[in-house]
Formats: sequence, C-alpha cells, structure tokens
Amino acid sequence: MDVYLPIAGMSINFFLILGIGGAVGFLSGLFGVGGGFLLTPLMMMIGIPPAVAAASDSNQIVAAASSGAFAHWRLGNVDFKMGLVILAGGIFGGTIGVQLVKILRAMGNFEFVMKVVYVLMLGLVGGAMFIESWRTIRRSKSASAEDTSAAPVTESSLTRIFNKLPLKMNFERSGLHTSAIFPFAIGTTVGIMAAILGVGGGFIMVPAMIYIIGMPTIAAIGTDLFQIVLTSANVTLQQAIVNHTVDLLLALILLSGSTIGAQFGAVAGKRLKGEQIRILLAIIVLALTVKMFFDLVLTPSDLVSLATSGGGH
Amino acid sequence: MKRLAILSLACCLVCFWGALALAITPEAQPKVITSASKNVVEIGLSYSGDKIFFFGVNPVSGSDVVIKLTAEKEEAVKLSVKGKVGPFWMSVKQYEVTGSPFIYKIHAIKPLDQIISKETAQDLELGYEAVRGKMKMELVRGKAAPEDEAIVWKGLLKIKEKANLYNIVEDPARLEISEGKLFKHYFRFPPAATEGRYQVESYCFLKGELVGYGKDIIEIKKVGLEHWFTQTSQKQPVFYGIMAVIIAVGAGLLVGVLFGKGGHH
Repeated sequence: MDVYLPIAGMSINFFLILGIGGAVGFLSGLFGVGGGFLLTPLMMMIGIPPAVAAASDSNQIVAAASSGAFAHWRLGNVDFKMGLVILAGGIFGGTIGVQLVKILRAMGNFEFVMKVVYVLMLGLVGGAMFIESWRTIRRSKSASAEDTSAAPVTESSLTRIFNKLPLKMNFERSGLHTSAIFPFAIGTTVGIMAAILGVGGGFIMVPAMIYIIGMPTIAAIGTDLFQIVLTSANVTLQQAIVNHTVDLLLALILLSGSTIGAQFGAVAGKRLKGEQIRILLAIIVLALTVKMFFDLVLTPSDLVSLATSGGGH
Repeated sequence: MKRLAILSLACCLVCFWGALALAITPEAQPKVITSASKNVVEIGLSYSGDKIFFFGVNPVSGSDVVIKLTAEKEEAVKLSVKGKVGPFWMSVKQYEVTGSPFIYKIHAIKPLDQIISKETAQDLELGYEAVRGKMKMELVRGKAAPEDEAIVWKGLLKIKEKANLYNIVEDPARLEISEGKLFKHYFRFPPAATEGRYQVESYCFLKGELVGYGKDIIEIKKVGLEHWFTQTSQKQPVFYGIMAVIIAVGAGLLVGVLFGKGGHH
C-alpha cells in the first residue's frame, strides 16, 4: 500500500514507514533516547530528502518522547526538578550551537565537521558505556544475584569534584544533593552538541546523566524523555516556520508506529537490568560509529549528489 | 563607397535569411492531431505515479515519430561533488545547475541519430546530447576543474534516471504505429513528478526533415488533504508548526493513556 507524502513529494510504502517508526519507538522507550540519530539516517536511506527527514523526525520525536515520558512518569521515573535545570542549560547551549553551526557553514564543509564530531562522540560514548556495562555484568555474575537495576552507578571522581560546587539543590527523585551548576553545564554542552549534530541529544544526555551526574539509569531515562518533549517541540516549530520541511503526514505515520513501539520499549526497559540496557545501547551506538567512519573513508558509489539544502520543495 | 554599403547590406540580408532558414519552428509545421487519455492528474493520498496514453495521427504516412515529455518549468538544482582529502571523502565543490529540464523522456520509433541530424536534434532539444548542451553550471563552492562538466552531467543523469524522471526509449515496440498513420503509446509519470504543467510534444520526420508537430499539456495537481497540507505549510507555517506539535503531543499522550489502561506497569 503506497502513500504520497505531500512535503517530501514522493510516494512510499505505508507499512515500511510504520515498521521503521515502531522499531525506533521501541528503542526510544527502552533507552530514553529520542531516536533521531537512528531515524534520520534510516529515512534518508529510503529516499526521503534529508531536510524533510530531519524536520519530520523532530515532529515524531515529540510524540514518541511524550508517550515515553508519560509512561515513565506513571512509573515514577521522571525527576522534574533535574529535567528543568538540564532543559535550561539545553536551551542556552542550543542557542550557542546554532550560532556555531552558522560560523562553520560560512567556513565551508560543515557536513564533514559534523560527521567527524559524530564519529568521535559516538565512539567515545559507546566505547565507555560498553566497557563499563560489560564490567558490571561480569561482576554481578561472579557475585550473588543482586538486583542492581535501580542502584546508581558508583560515584566517579568527576562527580565528587562537581559535588563541591556551590548552588546545591536537592533532587529527591534521583536521591542526589548536588550543585545545580553541574546539570546546567551538562545541558549546555549537550545542547551545543545537539545543534551541531542535528539530533535530540538523548544518546549523549543519558550517559552523561548516569556517569557524570550519577543519576540512577531509569530516572535518567525518564527525565531525559521529559526534556526531549520540550526541546523537539521547539525544533519542530522552528523547522516549520523557517524551512517548511515538516511533513506532517510522514510524521503521523512514523508516530503511529513509534508511540506504540515506545510503550513496549518502556515495559521491556522495566524488565531488563540497568547494565543490560546500557550494553545494548552501547552496541547500537558503536555500530553506527563504524558505519559513519566507513562513510567518511570508503569511496562513495555516487560522487555527485543533490545538495542537502535543496530538499523540501 | 555607395557600392560598399549596398554590398554589406546585401551580405547582412543573406546572413539574416540564412539564420532564419536554419532555425526550425515546429509550430509552423502541419499539425499532428493528438489526444491524451487524460489531461489532469490528481495527487491524492494513495498517488504513486500515473500512466497516460497518447494517440496521434501522423500527417505524412510513413514518417518517423519522436515524442518528447518535458516540464514547462525549468529547475535549478544544487549538486555537491565529492573528492578525496587525505583518507576522507568529503564534498569539495558545489555547482548550481540550471537550464536542464525537471523531467525528460523520449519515445522514438528508432535510434534518434538514424532519424535526424545532430543539428536538428540540438535545435529541437531531442536526445541527451542536446540536454547536456543546454545545461548551464555555476560553481558555488570549491575549485573548478575541466572535467567537472562531464562529472556533473553524469551525476545529474544518474540521479534523474534513478527517479525515473529521465529516459530515452528508441524502440518501435514502445511506440505503436498502425498502417504508418495512427500512433499510440504511453508515458509513465513517476511519483517524483510533482505539481505543475507538463508538455508532450510529437514530432514527425521524413528523411530528417520535420513534417509535422503536435503538443499536449498535462497538468498534475494535489487535491484534498495533500493540497491542504502543502498549502498550509507554505502559507501559514506558524499555524502548521503549532498544529504539528499539538497533534504529536496528543497522539503520544493518547497512546500512553490507552496503554496505561491496558494494565502495563
């Protein structure tokens, strides 16, 4: 069954989009990532113009994340206070990031810089996460079968240093008494990254919340989803106004798949242990890093391509 | 002096007439009577391209028929060209290409070079060489190189052929002609063929000379929801954006509530 997408200007199989939306939604509910970093490349792979793919994905992330955030809120996994502090940092960082993008564009080859940053960031985050969760799994296997799903990761030295900063706040849900400067700074950093990479930033945010702030895995995921709803809503609106690239029909089909997928993801997340979720996410992130790296190095099949800025009409 | 003036005037006149005789004006030829199975294509929710049949009467029995499909509007596309920098592949230059048609399809009874001369082909824009000759490219970014024209043309052709927007079929089986007079064929409009006016031109050649010409106009337009989405996104972007966000949040919460009632905890 084919459906014609009005803004993308193409016809495509309905169930293909629904299926991709469902699969990404599942991962999004499971890991608390918006899924933008998976969905945008997938949409481009099936022929959607890049600009339309990115903007419509933001739109569907709003739905998947609000569905996931709602599910996590019911399960008591959202730390609203922490979420708002991070969000404030995220908006600040996003604004800086957009300006940086503008400067990089003027200097030329923004796309190349973006891909290199992608490979470095994803490789670093994925690698660190993989090693850490692998160790935890091995340790818990050798020790007695203790439930560690809700336990926070052991305090890192970085966490202790930041703990000494002023502006201390009490984050009851996460069970933390830490400086607000610190989550705000992480929000800012991730905001800058997110603007450069053109994604929601959940895949950087969640590890940062777990390993640097020291939040429990499940609270980090719930809180991240909450802030993603607001950030991607803002991006959707901006894209619709500035670039006219939001394909509502595409987003509607994607979100039908992803909202349902996200529910199953959230339930599956409850059944899996924290380190199991982390190692899965690490594998996906590493696989994407390898793909991106080969994109940069292997001879492309087509030397000439339509410039990305041309999409959307 | 006077003689020289007369001579140069005569020369100018000869050149002028010569130029007139060289250019071919298809509209001046006997009309090829044509008809299409439909002239308006509506893009609805389940649109996946369309197939339109064309019929025509050849004014000179036994002449060679060539039919060309193009869009009325010309397009400007930006193309990036990749190159190797160190171990990495990155886009090293960008060209803005104008003058190339958005869609270009040809059906001919036999290979074009057996029907018409190169000059006539160029004049009437028949064949890829003619399209290539009309293509203009302007460097937007990077350093130009002499082989760029060939690379860009090849790249553009590949992109267009992949989307089924360009193709040339030189096969009598694709263009049926009964008793040398009545011809029948169809063009497939791919889903990538968006809103706009398209023209189907029929040319009849006898021994390389144009002896008949006809033209049909096909209009493709969006209707219903497709039309509304496109119009609203362009004309009321703020409303469209807010609507997109509200629908997304609503759908997300709705599914959340539905699943919540389903007993998952």
